[in-house]
Amino acid sequence: MKRLGVLLLVLGALACGTASAAGHVTLTVYAASSLTDVLPKVGSVERYSFGGSNTLAAQITQGAPADIFASANLTLPEQLYAKGLVRRPYVLTHNALVLIVPRADPARIHSITDLRKPDVKIVIAGPTVPVGAYTLQVLKTMRMTDVLDNVVSREADVRDVLAKVALGEADAGFVYATDARTVPKKVTVLRLPVWARPNVAYGIAVVTASKHRDEATAYLRMLLGKRAQTTFRSYGFLPRRTAG
Amino acid sequence: MRRVAFFALVLAATLTTLGFLVLPVVAIFTHVSPVTLARQLSNPVVDDALVVSAKTTALAQALVLLLGTPTAYLLATRRFRGRSLLVTAVELPLVLPPAVAGIGLLVAFGRMGLLHTSIPFTQTAVTLAVAFVSGPLYVRAAIAAFEAVDPTFVDAARTLGAGPARTFFRVAVPLAGGGLAAGEALAFARGLGEFGATIMFAGSLQHVTQTLPLAIYAAFDVDFDVTLAIGGVLVLLSAAVLIALKLATSWTLSLQTSGFRFAPSTSN
Repeated sequence: MKRLGVLLLVLGALACGTASAAGHVTLTVYAASSLTDVLPKVGSVERYSFGGSNTLAAQITQGAPADIFASANLTLPEQLYAKGLVRRPYVLTHNALVLIVPRADPARIHSITDLRKPDVKIVIAGPTVPVGAYTLQVLKTMRMTDVLDNVVSREADVRDVLAKVALGEADAGFVYATDARTVPKKVTVLRLPVWARPNVAYGIAVVTASKHRDEATAYLRMLLGKRAQTTFRSYGFLPRRTAG
Repeated sequence: MRRVAFFALVLAATLTTLGFLVLPVVAIFTHVSPVTLARQLSNPVVDDALVVSAKTTALAQALVLLLGTPTAYLLATRRFRGRSLLVTAVELPLVLPPAVAGIGLLVAFGRMGLLHTSIPFTQTAVTLAVAFVSGPLYVRAAIAAFEAVDPTFVDAARTLGAGPARTFFRVAVPLAGGGLAAGEALAFARGLGEFGATIMFAGSLQHVTQTLPLAIYAAFDVDFDVTLAIGGVLVLLSAAVLIALKLATSWTLSLQTSGFRFAPSTSN
């Protein structure tokens, strides 16, 4: 009985601790994994859940406690907006899709057409992951969907694709230019022809169910502001083209 | 009065525990009707995942049984220096986070790894990942099962002229049978649910490396019905394994009861 009392005391103390910590608001940001490096440099007190934007959107639909949703496309925030799950989305930043190969380039890939060579191991993201959808779009535009036969894995987010190419286990993969920059010694970047490049736009919105809507809105505004946007560019993101 | 309060607390804790453990399983079946479940079984994604899981699980468990049984027998019956170190090494994958297992397999068998193989992203990779995480469960149980075999039976067999191989197959394995089956049931269930090591080592590609757990993950944001249906299938399979495990355990007990005069039961 005494022990139980101690346990209750401890639990009570823990509960109080949590309550007092909530004095200043810590926003929970659900963000595309390609934002993993830049977002913590822009903000300071946020908690992050990085992952495939599609997974994050599904989690928000299931009631995940997010205050902000930052997606690697505009479609997902717009879909959530249509369902009333997030407030009006804004364009956060832009990115470019690139083809990467390991530094050692075991399959000798010098251009995107080399992906057609037999036994090339290509890793791409799943079709519902934004980067996977952009990849399919590029291959369709270039009439190269036959290279999908060389795909050996469909990963859950862009960083999984990056990791498998950087490790040298895959021969090639499609990621964002900003992801490739994080492992410059491990991968070589092959640019895509200008006419085939997809428009990679990031959408950001405040989650409707957020308990800290005002703070979340302020955070969103801060991200769209000059200083944050400069940081985004220093990480290789492209300037916002569409005004809010 | 105190006694009543204590009992009430214990009862409340028990009910909470039961509710907590049962609720998610019940929730899966309240969300997916048997009709939806049956319809999703003909969904190509679910179908392919079932086939991949069945193939890789069968192969992995064959490997586990074929290699794990002699290993366990040796470790259980011989005493030598460094034995406990070996046993610990065999058990390590049990406590290793699956993601660590995945990265370990990748740097061991990967193209850039120690052995320079082209196994990653193939069904062989799935099989190896499953064997790696589930095998130790079996070996551990098998060591205990072989250790529990009364050595007088083994000695008797040897004095009566049976060779070591015959003793192993006709005496040790049948006597340890229940324990071996129980260990294998656990390994089977663990292997069926393997996720972390597989997704890192083998990737995820429908029809090739996408097992049932990987398919659940991939379908999560696409079609919640598919996720639930695969979940339902896995619950049923796991329940079947658990029942098999119970049967295997009761088999051990009955075996031990029959030999009770010689080998006092240590389990239960």
